Amino acid sequence: MRGKGGFNNQIMDSAPIVRCSGVGKRFGNGPPVLEGIELAAQPGDFISLIGPSGCGKSTLLRLIAGLTPVTGGRILPEARRAREGVFVVFQDANLLPWRRVAANVELPLMLRGDPPASRRERVREMLGLVGLAEAARKFPWQLSGGMKMRVSIARALSVQPRLLLLDEPFGALDEMTRDRLNEDLLAIRARDPFTAFFVTHSVAEAVFLSNRVVVLSANPGRIAREITVPFSYPRPPELRETPEFLALLAETSHALRSVLPR
Amino acid sequence: MKRPTISSWLLPAIAGAVLVAAWYLLKAAGGIPSYVLPSPGEILAAAWHERRTLLASILVTGRGAVLGFVLAVGGGFLLSLVMAFSFRLKRSLYPYILMLQMTPVIILAPIFVLWLGQGLPAIVAVTFMICFFPVVANTTMGFLSVDRGWREVFTICRASRWQEIRYLRVPAAMPYFLTGMKIAGTLAPIGAITGDFLAGTQQNGVGGIGFMTIAYFSQLKIPALFATGLTACLLGFLFVGGVSLLHWLILHRWHESVAGKE
Repeated sequence: MRGKGGFNNQIMDSAPIVRCSGVGKRFGNGPPVLEGIELAAQPGDFISLIGPSGCGKSTLLRLIAGLTPVTGGRILPEARRAREGVFVVFQDANLLPWRRVAANVELPLMLRGDPPASRRERVREMLGLVGLAEAARKFPWQLSGGMKMRVSIARALSVQPRLLLLDEPFGALDEMTRDRLNEDLLAIRARDPFTAFFVTHSVAEAVFLSNRVVVLSANPGRIAREITVPFSYPRPPELRETPEFLALLAETSHALRSVLPR
Repeated sequence: MKRPTISSWLLPAIAGAVLVAAWYLLKAAGGIPSYVLPSPGEILAAAWHERRTLLASILVTGRGAVLGFVLAVGGGFLLSLVMAFSFRLKRSLYPYILMLQMTPVIILAPIFVLWLGQGLPAIVAVTFMICFFPVVANTTMGFLSVDRGWREVFTICRASRWQEIRYLRVPAAMPYFLTGMKIAGTLAPIGAITGDFLAGTQQNGVGGIGFMTIAYFSQLKIPALFATGLTACLLGFLFVGGVSLLHWLILHRWHESVAGKE
C-alpha cells in the first residue's frame, strides 16, 4: 500500500522515530528554557505536550523539527538543516497567499522535485482527505480559519512525513470547529497514518487525540509527568462523554494544575 | 474594481468648475494680460492649434521616459535581489546608491550630456537616475521582510537557496516591488521632461516636452507654454495608469491591496 518506511513496517521495528536525550535549550545567555528532556516517540505514537505558558513546549517542537539547535543533549536522528521526514503544522496556517489552495498543498512535493503528474494526483488525494476538494482553485484569503488549517494539514501530510509536529494548530479556532477538526485529524490518521507530537493548551484535546500526554513544568521546562491514554483508535466523538474519558481528563487537569507556578 | 458612484466624478467636476471660474475672475478683476496669465480657454485653443507639435513631443518624451523607467525597474530589481542575498554587498553599496539619490539630477544632467551628447541617451540616463532609487529601496525592503512562518515552511521542506528565492522571496516582494514601480512611474515622465529640458534636441522644429517649453518661452507663445504643462500631465497620467494596471494585473488575485474588492 505504501512505499518503503511505511507505517506498518515502522511498527514492526521498534526503533524510535525520534529520541531526545538530556535535551536542553537556552537562548543566548538567558536562563534555560528546557532542561534534561528525555523523550522518545515510537512509530504510531500520538504524543501531546501540555504545560503552563512559557514551559518551552513549542520550543521543544522546534528543536525536534530542527528549526533551532539544541544547546544541551542530543536529538536523534541528527539534523543538518531541518530534520528529514519531519513536517510541522504551525499555529498560523502559513499558507502562501499568492498560491491557490492546490498549489499550496503541492509546494512541498514540488520543492522536493516530484514529477508533476504524481504531484497532481497526490494533491487531489490530500484535498479529498481533508474535505476540501471543492476549494482547490481558491486563494487562502477566501478561506475560513478552520479551512486554512485543513489546507496546512494537507500540505504537511502530502509528503507522508515520518513524524508530524503540530504546534497548537487549532488554538485560534472556536471550540466547535476545534472538536470537529480533532475528529477529522484522527480520521485522516486512520487512513494515512503518521506519528505525531501535538502541542496544545487544551487538556480535553490532548486526551482525546493522544495515546501519551506529556506534562511539562516551567522555568526551566522539564517533563513533570507522562500520562498514558488507554483508549483504542478509532475514537468516536461520544468518547468525550464517557466516565472513563472524564476521569482521565480530571487526572490530567490535576497533573497540569500541580505544575502551575503558585 | 470599485463601482463608480456619482460623487466620484461629480465632486471633482464641481471643484474643477469652481477653479476655472476663479481663474477667469482673477484675470478679469486684475486686468492680467494673456502674455502673463492666459485664460483656460486660450490655453485649450493654443493646445489645439499646436496639437501636432505637442502630440509629437509626447512621443519623444514618452520614449525617453519608458526606456529610462524600464532600465531602472529591471536594473533596480536585479540589484535589490543581489543585495538581499549578500548582506556585505548591501552594506558596501547602499551608501553610494543613497549618495547618487542625494545628488540632484540638475547636476548630473550636464555630466551625462558631456558623456553621451545631447539627445535620447542623456534623457534616458536622467530618467534612469530619478527612477532607480525608489525601485531599489522598496524592492530590497520586500526581499528582506518575508514572513518568518513562510520561511520556516521552506526550511522544513529543505528547500534550496534558489528555490527559496524563486518560490518565496520574489513573489513575497512583489507588492513592495510594485510600490517602488508606482513611485518610479510618477517620476519617469518628470525625469524625461527634465532630461529633455537640459539635453533635448529637435527635428523639424519638434522636440520633447521639455524642449518645447524652452522653445515656446523664447518665442513668447505663452498660452502654448501653458499647454505644454497640460501635455506633461497627460503623459504622467498615461504612465501612472499603465503602472497601476500592471499592479492590478499582478496582485488582484491575492494581495490585500486589491484582492476581494471586486
